Amino acid sequence: MTGRIRNPWVVVAAYNEAPVVGGVVSGIRRAGYAVVVVDDGSTDRTGDAALLAGAVVVRHPINLGQGAALQTGIDYALEQRADAIVTFDADGQHSPAAIAALLAALDQSGIDFALGSRFLTGATANLPVSRRILLSAAIWFTRASTGLPVTDTHNGLRAMTERGARAISLRQNRMAHASEILHQIAQSRLRVIEVPVNIEYSAYSLGKGQRVTDALTILIDLFARRLYR
Amino acid sequence: MIAQLLLTAFLAFVLVYAWSAHRTVPIIGLLASGAALAGLYFVWVPEHATALAAFAGIGRGSDLIVYIWVVISLLIMLNLHLKLRLQLDMITRLARAVAIDRAKESRRDASPPRKRRPVMLGRKAEVGPIQVQAKK
Repeated sequence: MTGRIRNPWVVVAAYNEAPVVGGVVSGIRRAGYAVVVVDDGSTDRTGDAALLAGAVVVRHPINLGQGAALQTGIDYALEQRADAIVTFDADGQHSPAAIAALLAALDQSGIDFALGSRFLTGATANLPVSRRILLSAAIWFTRASTGLPVTDTHNGLRAMTERGARAISLRQNRMAHASEILHQIAQSRLRVIEVPVNIEYSAYSLGKGQRVTDALTILIDLFARRLYR
Repeated sequence: MIAQLLLTAFLAFVLVYAWSAHRTVPIIGLLASGAALAGLYFVWVPEHATALAAFAGIGRGSDLIVYIWVVISLLIMLNLHLKLRLQLDMITRLARAVAIDRAKESRRDASPPRKRRPVMLGRKAEVGPIQVQAKK
């Protein structure tokens, strides 16, 4: 483990990812990290595959959404006295090598959030043009609404210290959590750094990813959330 | 007169609803109260409704009241939507607590029980090699 971080946990939110989640967990375990997989009410054998590969599995009794699953994983990791938490996608598009880079960034004093960015180095492979346009719009919206000068907004690779994790409380159960987390980071006034990460898009991960129509749902969710206490 | 009394009863009910909504969703409570009060005013002073309708280009005062009623209905629908979201919040918290408790329970069950040292009556317990080395 690096410097001041002694007990990092990796949180993986998974819904019907049985074909790939075992490989993802094995990769993280080989890299030497404790991992909790939140099985978000899957109808396949996602939880069993993750358990066999060496993860702690927390099973939602019903499907709640990725945001809810991540918050459950964060809560669980904090109960295990994690001093750093890394969120990691279950569809195999992230590399376990990125975890060390994110944790190394957190080792700098005063940094509480390290956010993975696909666009800092341009190393991301197979990113389709439509996805690039959608992400550019999301980046513009996030910069305007949070004031954070981020270069990537909907990247599932993030690391946070225990203090950072306690400042986060996701209430957007579905995909709008990615914007919500940035809003909460901005409100917490804790320090953020971006770390270049490589995302490997495959046919499988693209099939699971967001579509243009989802962007509208995310905007409605974010707007509705502001109306009630 | 009968229509006026019925509408007054309806709009008074909306006012009570708006007051109760105000505690959880302030914006809905405020808008529904405003719409209900405007409706009550126009029900009892219809000539002002007609004047305002003509000014707005609607034509008849009764049409204006119908439009206000439509706005109130939409606000009630929005409020119901937001209430559903609050319920989802509670369900999420409940499901999360259940999931984490079950995970902790199954980890406890999976971990092997602690071995107890055998108690040796009438004999001094042997000292392990690590402790011996530590005393040197």
